[in-house]
Amino acid sequence: MLQKTRDNSLRPLRRALRLLWRGVREWCGDAAYEQYLRSRATQAPTEAHLSAEEFYVERVNRRYSRPNRCC
Amino acid sequence: MKRVFRIAVWTIVAVVGAGALAKIALHRGEPINAMWFVLAAVGCYLIAFRFYSAFLAARLLVLDDTRATPAERLDDGRDFVPTNKWVLFGHHFAAIAGPGPLVGPTLAAQFGYLPGTLWLIAGAIFAGCVQDFVILLFSIRRNGKSLGEMAREEVSRRGGFIAQIAVLAIMVILLGVVALVIVNALKSSPWATFTLAMTIPIAMLVGLYLRFVRPGRVLEASLLGVALVFFVVVAGQWVAESPSWAAAFTFSGVALTCALIAYGFAASALPVWLLLAPRDYLSAFIKAGAICCLAAGILFVRPNILMPPLTTFIDGNGPVFSGKIFPFCFITIACGAVSGFHSLISSGTTPKMILREGHARMIGYGAMLLESFVGVMAMVAACAMSPGVYFAINSPAGIVGSSAEAAAHTISGWGYALTASTMTDLARSVGETTLLNRAGGAPSLAVGMAQIFSSSIGGPRLLSIWYHFAIMFEALFILTVLDAGTRVGRFMIQELGGRVWKPFARTSWVPGMLIASALIVGMWGYFLYAGVVDPLGGINSLWPLFGIANQLLAAVALVVATTILIKMGRLRWLWVTVVPMIWLVIVTMTASYQKIFSANPRIGFLCFAQTLGTQILAGKIPPEKLADTRRIIFNQRLDAMVTAVLALMILVLIAEAIVQWYLLLSKRKPATLHETPYVATAWGENYSGLAHGDD
Repeated sequence: MLQKTRDNSLRPLRRALRLLWRGVREWCGDAAYEQYLRSRATQAPTEAHLSAEEFYVERVNRRYSRPNRCC
Repeated sequence: MKRVFRIAVWTIVAVVGAGALAKIALHRGEPINAMWFVLAAVGCYLIAFRFYSAFLAARLLVLDDTRATPAERLDDGRDFVPTNKWVLFGHHFAAIAGPGPLVGPTLAAQFGYLPGTLWLIAGAIFAGCVQDFVILLFSIRRNGKSLGEMAREEVSRRGGFIAQIAVLAIMVILLGVVALVIVNALKSSPWATFTLAMTIPIAMLVGLYLRFVRPGRVLEASLLGVALVFFVVVAGQWVAESPSWAAAFTFSGVALTCALIAYGFAASALPVWLLLAPRDYLSAFIKAGAICCLAAGILFVRPNILMPPLTTFIDGNGPVFSGKIFPFCFITIACGAVSGFHSLISSGTTPKMILREGHARMIGYGAMLLESFVGVMAMVAACAMSPGVYFAINSPAGIVGSSAEAAAHTISGWGYALTASTMTDLARSVGETTLLNRAGGAPSLAVGMAQIFSSSIGGPRLLSIWYHFAIMFEALFILTVLDAGTRVGRFMIQELGGRVWKPFARTSWVPGMLIASALIVGMWGYFLYAGVVDPLGGINSLWPLFGIANQLLAAVALVVATTILIKMGRLRWLWVTVVPMIWLVIVTMTASYQKIFSANPRIGFLCFAQTLGTQILAGKIPPEKLADTRRIIFNQRLDAMVTAVLALMILVLIAEAIVQWYLLLSKRKPATLHETPYVATAWGENYSGLAHGDD
């Protein structure tokens, strides 16, 4: 019982930390492949998709072919 | 009741901001505390964001949250990725924040703290943020088209071509000048050179990990890399202390130039995943960390500003760079207040990821406010050291002399007290042999940051570590600009070349790739070399050239934005883009004219070339320096020509746009917008993009 109340009181904090963690992963590109798979699953579920390695190489190639870092 | 409370809060913010601004503007005498700068800047930003950007969003651009953005309509999981507002804010900010807002304000501090700080704040609010915001929205409404494509469609074909050439020219000058900043920070410093050199194998290690061990796990790989980078910052000290290792990592400016050129070529030609991408990941983490540390350090230490509000150098005879406060203060600050380069990020990359039009306000306008704040912090760091030390670090040897005694004598003569022992002690305490004549902003900013950091953690004992941490941080993300820019420049050259001969545009064709890489590296490498051998330090001629180019690109972006606004019929609010555009045109044209034709040899390229020519004829140049002098004359004429070509191109574009405006306004031409048609969003009001699935 005591355990449960403590859990409840920490819930908003845990949720905030989880969102922060997700935000950081999406910001730095760590979650890019998961986002890609999710997008493929909804947009084109029947088509074959790239492997994690293929996707990573393709992604950085595209990303660094146009201005993406500024002065 | 709630309304009254809101009004009260915003009134307090306005009063505090205005009060702090008045305090730094009118303050004389005793040193002023840096907290006034923070209060003034943050107060102004909050008011500008709450009211001016809200006005732009509601009246000028009429953002529509019910309209589906390209990220929703074209979602492909690669370029078009619906992204949470705050995640995209971080992305966009990491992309626009580079060395510019750190170096520009540091150089402009030679006029005193006041002009630079005021322009950083006002320029961002009324020009820089507006440009980023409107271009972002226009690109969202065009499926993420680039600035060049928008110029071609909305202004004219020639307009698009000019914009494309201008971008390439700016890229070349930018890369040359930032490379020069690195060279000036690394020359004869084994510690800094070792640290930066080691970041290359570290980046490659991270790259291999990300490719073969755990593909795409950026977070863990980058944290591993960052830990290694911290280790080599500390290890640099052991290198600097060992005579044989120190000798192996001590290079002259020219040797570093060759190394950087070779590096740029390799980064452009090697696979992206091996060097360029992992270095960028490292740099993004370290950049975010260092900027937060600087902010925390300033808040914690609250240093006093020792630089006067205005120095005597507003008359144009400054040692760091020459030229009067108008127009050169505005040219020098560049990126922290308004940066044309941002329009390349605001069009093309960010618009493809934005979730809703309404987010453009925070991401377009807000991220630029934060960048301006980075500029204000750089200004604080530069002005918190004693002015004598600031001038000793940033003045070229040709003006203050190359020994500590000579520099102390000259600078004390200007009224900024400095003893030779101050400089030698400072150099020793940061682990360098000398800090004199390191124009470029990086070393003086590093000294400023190190002083702030060491007052919070570690005291004088850690000063040298903090200094080299700051140098590494700046050099690392300058190198990121250098390699990413070289690669993008290579693609631009291949695209332009493809218009003449088709196969050249194929990016996978190896000879084409090598030729284009060599061309872009050769171009910025030449500017870099010219800067390194320049007797006035190089920054004196190259930084204004970069500032002019960057501000001209901002003018291009505002011309495109104005044309679109006319077509949208928003004539009543047209001043929002027209006023900053006119200001930028006046500033850049005045600066270009002075850089080319000024009769002062320290300002005018042609006049300096002529002065040297007369000296050769009069036999005043010793025979062994004859070849060098001839080369300097050639470089000065080249700089003059580049400035003239840039200014001319922009004038042609503006003339072209004015003709279009006349035709549109007089209804001789129908106003055809190239927006994508309205599609209603399928997402609910609370959809944030971050909480996929379980929340």
